[in-house]
Amino acid sequence: MASLTLHGVRKEYGQVVALDSLDLDVRDGEFFVLLGPSGAGKTTTLKCVAGLEGLSAGRVEIGGRDVTDAEPNSRHVAMAFENYALYPQYTVYDNIAFPLRSPRYRVSAQEATSRIDRVTTTLGINQLLERAPRELSGGQRQRVALARVLVRPADVLLLDEPLSHLDAKLRAAMRTELKSLGDLQHTTSLYVTHDYLEALALGDRIAVLREGKLVQVGTREEMWHQPVDLFVAQAFGQPRINLVLGEIVRTDRGQAFRDQDGAFVIPLGDVDVPAQRSVWLGLRPRDLVLGESTGMHPLQGRVYVVESLGRQLEVTVDVGAQRISLVVPRTEIEPDTMVTFSVPPHRLLLFDAASERRLEMAPAVGHQAGASHV
Amino acid sequence: MREQTAIPTSTERPASETVAVAPATAVEGERRTGLRWTDIVLNGLTLLYFLFALFPLVWMLILSLKPQDDLFTTYFVFEPTLAAYREVLGGSGQVGTRFLGFFFNSLIVSAGAVLISLIVGVPAAYAFARWRFRGGESLLFTLLSFRFAPELMVIIPLLVIYRRFGLFDTHLGLIWVYQLITLPLIVWILRSYFQDLTPELEQSALLDGYNRPQAFMKVAVPLIRPGLAAAGLLAFIFAWNSFVFPFALTGSNAQTVTVGSLSFLGGATPRYNLTAAAALIALIPPLLLALSIQRFLVRGLTFGAVKG
Repeated sequence: MASLTLHGVRKEYGQVVALDSLDLDVRDGEFFVLLGPSGAGKTTTLKCVAGLEGLSAGRVEIGGRDVTDAEPNSRHVAMAFENYALYPQYTVYDNIAFPLRSPRYRVSAQEATSRIDRVTTTLGINQLLERAPRELSGGQRQRVALARVLVRPADVLLLDEPLSHLDAKLRAAMRTELKSLGDLQHTTSLYVTHDYLEALALGDRIAVLREGKLVQVGTREEMWHQPVDLFVAQAFGQPRINLVLGEIVRTDRGQAFRDQDGAFVIPLGDVDVPAQRSVWLGLRPRDLVLGESTGMHPLQGRVYVVESLGRQLEVTVDVGAQRISLVVPRTEIEPDTMVTFSVPPHRLLLFDAASERRLEMAPAVGHQAGASHV
Repeated sequence: MREQTAIPTSTERPASETVAVAPATAVEGERRTGLRWTDIVLNGLTLLYFLFALFPLVWMLILSLKPQDDLFTTYFVFEPTLAAYREVLGGSGQVGTRFLGFFFNSLIVSAGAVLISLIVGVPAAYAFARWRFRGGESLLFTLLSFRFAPELMVIIPLLVIYRRFGLFDTHLGLIWVYQLITLPLIVWILRSYFQDLTPELEQSALLDGYNRPQAFMKVAVPLIRPGLAAAGLLAFIFAWNSFVFPFALTGSNAQTVTVGSLSFLGGATPRYNLTAAAALIALIPPLLLALSIQRFLVRGLTFGAVKG
């Protein structure tokens, strides 16, 4: 077990900069998630930590030891690859035993058997040990790859989208399972995913990557409630956060947000928002409620479309020129009717339109101002 | 988190699945409707080609079974005899022992050449497949150029060099010059096999505690066994069939079966039946080799390595 630190890591492939001055500090025993769209440099980061890719600049430290120039097999790092990378010529048992037979991690055959027995029982693959990898389903292969990582000692576990090729149901089940695996919980882990649900469910902390640059690092609450910019705000949540372009205007009751055609006005109260020419207002679909509610600001709109999410509905409402998504408990609601919904003032997010950075608002004051203005 | 239906962000998966499924169903539909006609035509054409390709062999077989008197007739009525085989394989002294000598020379030289090419060529092919290095491409092309440059172009200087260094008429000399034939084949064929292997398999081995040579030997090499078999076999056949190099670079000691078979034509009466018998016997080793490694020639060992 060890901490993992990246100092100004840079990786170039010819003219392409895959990673740009990346600084990461993963604490000992932490489950750290890297989130980002494809091409953001997530896998490259893992390979740099593993030593499979050389750095163009920067340093990698594991447990305080500089391993920047160390060979992969001397870094004490285990990795589960996105494509599983199971050895096709070996059985499942031999695949999992492979690291335990290596010069570096060799243990006695007896010890290997007992360890493999334990880890495969945990993962529910102990009946597959004699199979060849090609005879396994995707979910089973993924478990075998995970078993091969967990069976051996490692300072850092690197997990590259281990769930991305599973179907939705299996993915949800494996997510829960991953979380319950004690070994994973107590070993420093770097987990790569493009699925924000996985990130929120598994990560002690989350880092969002975009085009090789680190955008934000923080806990799931910070990611959700205090995204540093539009990109992070849009990375989390399904349906996506509603974004309305408008400007901050002064009213007699303090500041207010007003969209371009004036149909969408939300008082912000006496908050300390720097005077902006133009801003994005962010509203999470799940924060909005149907009907009027005390302490919230009501808005009127015409229902555009209603989609079922099971016990909930996703309702899209046209407010002036804006199209707003709401996720609400199942109820009777018809398209093309007028509805009222309410906006919780303390859940509003404001972003500068030019820099796309989030603007800080003083939260307490805005609360009462929203309710009084109808 | 509140409950949600997970919406897959990646669209690659469904797309690739539909692509994979579509051609399969198309082929099946075709099979049902047009089964008879295409089968008959294709089989007929195959048979025709077969006759065309095998005729020289049949002609040689006939020739080898003819008695000396019927050699120059072109009709098929004669009394078959195994006399030619008996004579070639040592029935009557001198000719026979010499032929067996040619035969073993060929075996030693071809097998030796393939063995050395494999030892050198497998790591070379791996390096060409995995790393881009300065001069790599031109080196690879130079290797290939040995295959299409005519052997006659280099034979005179080679002869001079070989005579000076005592390599003339030695097994080692032939094995050495055969590298021009076998090495390019092995490097080029195996390079594409290595390229088909996902590098993540070896990377995984590196992280599992093996160093690079071990990852190469334990993970990469076992997976290209079909390629090893195919490339080795091809190289062996080419080496076995080589004529110009042994013709120019050997005397009586290291002469191979390709050159040796011609010696039956040198006398007052050309003994075509002996040459035909010798050629047919010389056909046996490559044939046996091909049959014995047939099962390795089937690709597909790598299935299941990565997600389907």
